[in-house]
Amino acid sequence: MKPLEKYNPAVIFLYFLLLASLAMFAANPVMIAISVLTMNAAAVAYSREGLARSYVFYAIIFVLTSLANPVFSHNGVTVLLVVNDNPITLEAVLYGVMTGFMILSVLLLFRVFSTLMTSDRLLYIFGRAFPKLGLLLAMTLRFVPLFGRQRRKIENTQRTLGLYKDENAIDTIKGKLSVLSAMTTWGLENGIVTADSMSARGYGIKRSRTSFSMFRFERSDLGLLLIVIASCTFIFFGIATDKLKTDFYPRMQLPPFSPYATVCYILYTGLAIFPLVAKVAETLRWKWISGKAYDDKIKR
Amino acid sequence: MELLRVENLNFAYSDGKQALENISFSLEEGEMLCVCGPTGSGKSTLLRLLKRELSPRGTKNGVIYLNGRKQDSLSEFEAATEVGFVMQRPDMQIVTDKVWHELAFGLENIGVKQDEIRRRVCEIAGYFGMESWFDRSTDSLSGGQKQLLNLASVMVMQPSLLILDEPVSQLDPIAASDLLATVKKLCREFGITVIAAEQRLEELIPASDKLLALKDGRIVTFGETRECVKALMSDEHFAVSMPASAKLYRKLMGVAFERKEALSSHKRSGSESGNPEIPLSVGEGRRFLKNMISEIKSHDSGLPEDKEGPGTSLKSLARNQMWVNLASKEEKSGTENVEGNDALKKGRPEKEKNDFALEFREVYLKYERAGRDILQALSFKVRKGEIFCMLGGNGAGKSTAVSAAAGLVKPYTGKIKVFGKNIGDYRGQELYRECVALLPQDVQTVFLTDDINGRHPYDLSGGEQQLAALDIVLATKPRLLLLDEPTKGLDAVLTAELVNRLRALAQEGVTIVIVSHDVEFAADVADRCALLFNGEVVSVSDSRDFFAGNYFYTTALSRITRGIVK
Repeated sequence: MKPLEKYNPAVIFLYFLLLASLAMFAANPVMIAISVLTMNAAAVAYSREGLARSYVFYAIIFVLTSLANPVFSHNGVTVLLVVNDNPITLEAVLYGVMTGFMILSVLLLFRVFSTLMTSDRLLYIFGRAFPKLGLLLAMTLRFVPLFGRQRRKIENTQRTLGLYKDENAIDTIKGKLSVLSAMTTWGLENGIVTADSMSARGYGIKRSRTSFSMFRFERSDLGLLLIVIASCTFIFFGIATDKLKTDFYPRMQLPPFSPYATVCYILYTGLAIFPLVAKVAETLRWKWISGKAYDDKIKR
Repeated sequence: MELLRVENLNFAYSDGKQALENISFSLEEGEMLCVCGPTGSGKSTLLRLLKRELSPRGTKNGVIYLNGRKQDSLSEFEAATEVGFVMQRPDMQIVTDKVWHELAFGLENIGVKQDEIRRRVCEIAGYFGMESWFDRSTDSLSGGQKQLLNLASVMVMQPSLLILDEPVSQLDPIAASDLLATVKKLCREFGITVIAAEQRLEELIPASDKLLALKDGRIVTFGETRECVKALMSDEHFAVSMPASAKLYRKLMGVAFERKEALSSHKRSGSESGNPEIPLSVGEGRRFLKNMISEIKSHDSGLPEDKEGPGTSLKSLARNQMWVNLASKEEKSGTENVEGNDALKKGRPEKEKNDFALEFREVYLKYERAGRDILQALSFKVRKGEIFCMLGGNGAGKSTAVSAAAGLVKPYTGKIKVFGKNIGDYRGQELYRECVALLPQDVQTVFLTDDINGRHPYDLSGGEQQLAALDIVLATKPRLLLLDEPTKGLDAVLTAELVNRLRALAQEGVTIVIVSHDVEFAADVADRCALLFNGEVVSVSDSRDFFAGNYFYTTALSRITRGIVK
């Protein structure tokens, strides 16, 4: 098993897309529980920094979605309390909590996804489908930081030259506007150089443009792709035929544990835990290799 | 085989301005041509006309043959691939966000297949030594790396003619000579024909086979580099930008000619050694100088009276001029200069030494908390009214030091004093009111208006932009002027003008602090110099001692004369 980011971006993209849609369409407490647990672990394993701050945000979203359902939906037979003649039911609360967890799991999944999907990977996926858009995106990604840096440079220079000298709001706005106008001139004038550089390298000649990328499609990509498609088809079939259905109204039922449903849960666990397993396997293998190398050194 | 032939090329811009007149020359395959000429002489126009996609608008007469075929008859595909073109500004030529994508860009345009692109991109990255930054985003590269990437992304198209329009004018000298070395290597190893125009010719001329000098759109001379340089040395406009060893040759041979005549009249005999070849590189210059000295010694031994001979001239040269660019000193005699300098030093009142315009005391600065220190324990003092120059390689912290002095970045510890007052005690914009001014490295950030003496700033040449920006900066009437790489893109003539202007300012009492890579310029202009390394000052002394003491960081002339004349 190779690290997740080494797979072809298209396969990773499809994998996350299917995983998220399964969690959303199944509306099955067992699958959502699996999803929340595995994605939590994966988010911890993959994120570099700022996870704690994100959790505050996730908690707020979770509380809001959980509360929204019982406030607006009054189905269910078990009335907990009555507010303004509106009954708050246990079923609605439970359904709200499940929706909250579902959103939480998708948010966590998206977090893992965004650490894996760097700009060049996204570009690869969209560049394939829309070559013109792909190039446009690549150029945007090139020029946004360039423009940002130039703006800061102009601001700094102009500050030393007496822009913002009156130190009040109007003067600041005036200053910002003249920086913006200088930026426009700069962009237009230097854009000519870029255009020259493009046409000097044959951009726009009457030949069909190809779209190159460094990513390959290997055997392991095909393997992962087949596993993902097969398991998802199996689970989607279960969803479509109501084999995973869990009713909340009028009274909440326990999620189904038929043989088909159990296989679905196992498959889903296998799918959802894959990022974590790949990461842990990578770390362990690396420890083992470097440890071995260390031992070998000691022996010698 | 003849690769390029230009016949009677005339060109006028659509506004009627005649840019080129009667240009005819031809180049063999694998030759390197250096195109030189003052600003506005039509260098760029000529180079652009050779690349069909970049031809400026206007009326063109004459024929350009590429590989024996007329330029007009080439297909779009051939025109794009046969001729490669690299321009000045490294940043703006890069189109995409990743190094590998940039390399592939041209090949994508001409519709090369995936596998073929992969092979060619990886091959070129290997050849140019780009593996370690192959996956990086183009924004994170240094200027030298960016220009190398531009060169590589042109070379990946496998052109037979490579045109370089001032490719290194925006680079520091080390990156510049690396790039030129790479170009020379391409020329030698793959037989690629190269045409390069540049303002600084110190390194380009020794590397090139042919030379073409332009003035006002006409060819002044074209031919073998050495002969052309010899011919150009008699033209004041061109002589200033020639390599230091060629200037030294002219100066010494001038003396030797007279001397020889005197000798022959005295002795009625004499060894007819003939004129030695004009030296172009530092190595050749050293050989020439050694031969010269031994020849003079052998002559002088047979001569009783020796007062004003070349021996004396050499000694005075060594004493007075080895640290100075010959060009700007041409008018003044060396002796005068030294006396003037000493007088200046003696004349400076002692008490003034305590009066500093700028003082750094153990300044530490970094941009990110986890990052490395850009400045560490940086300490130096700049006296009022002096021209102080800080030299150093890339990443030595030069630009950061001037930014800190201008209050744009703040150190996390240490003191910066401007005219005896802590920089933090200047409130609001007080620091910039007739006090401190900064000419940044990127002078285009100075222009807010669209009109400078009736012209748009971006229509000016790089050198003219530099001087225009200096005017704008000086309009704030600073007492302390900070200059970051002021000679970027300047040719020899404009550099001389800049030197004069800065000297005049210093006379008026303005303190000038310069950070630069340009040792020749620093030697010309500075009273004191400091060498910055890894964020600290490792040596600081008067310019003359500084450049005489340095082995690498010194002028070409000093490298030629080192150890030969004392």
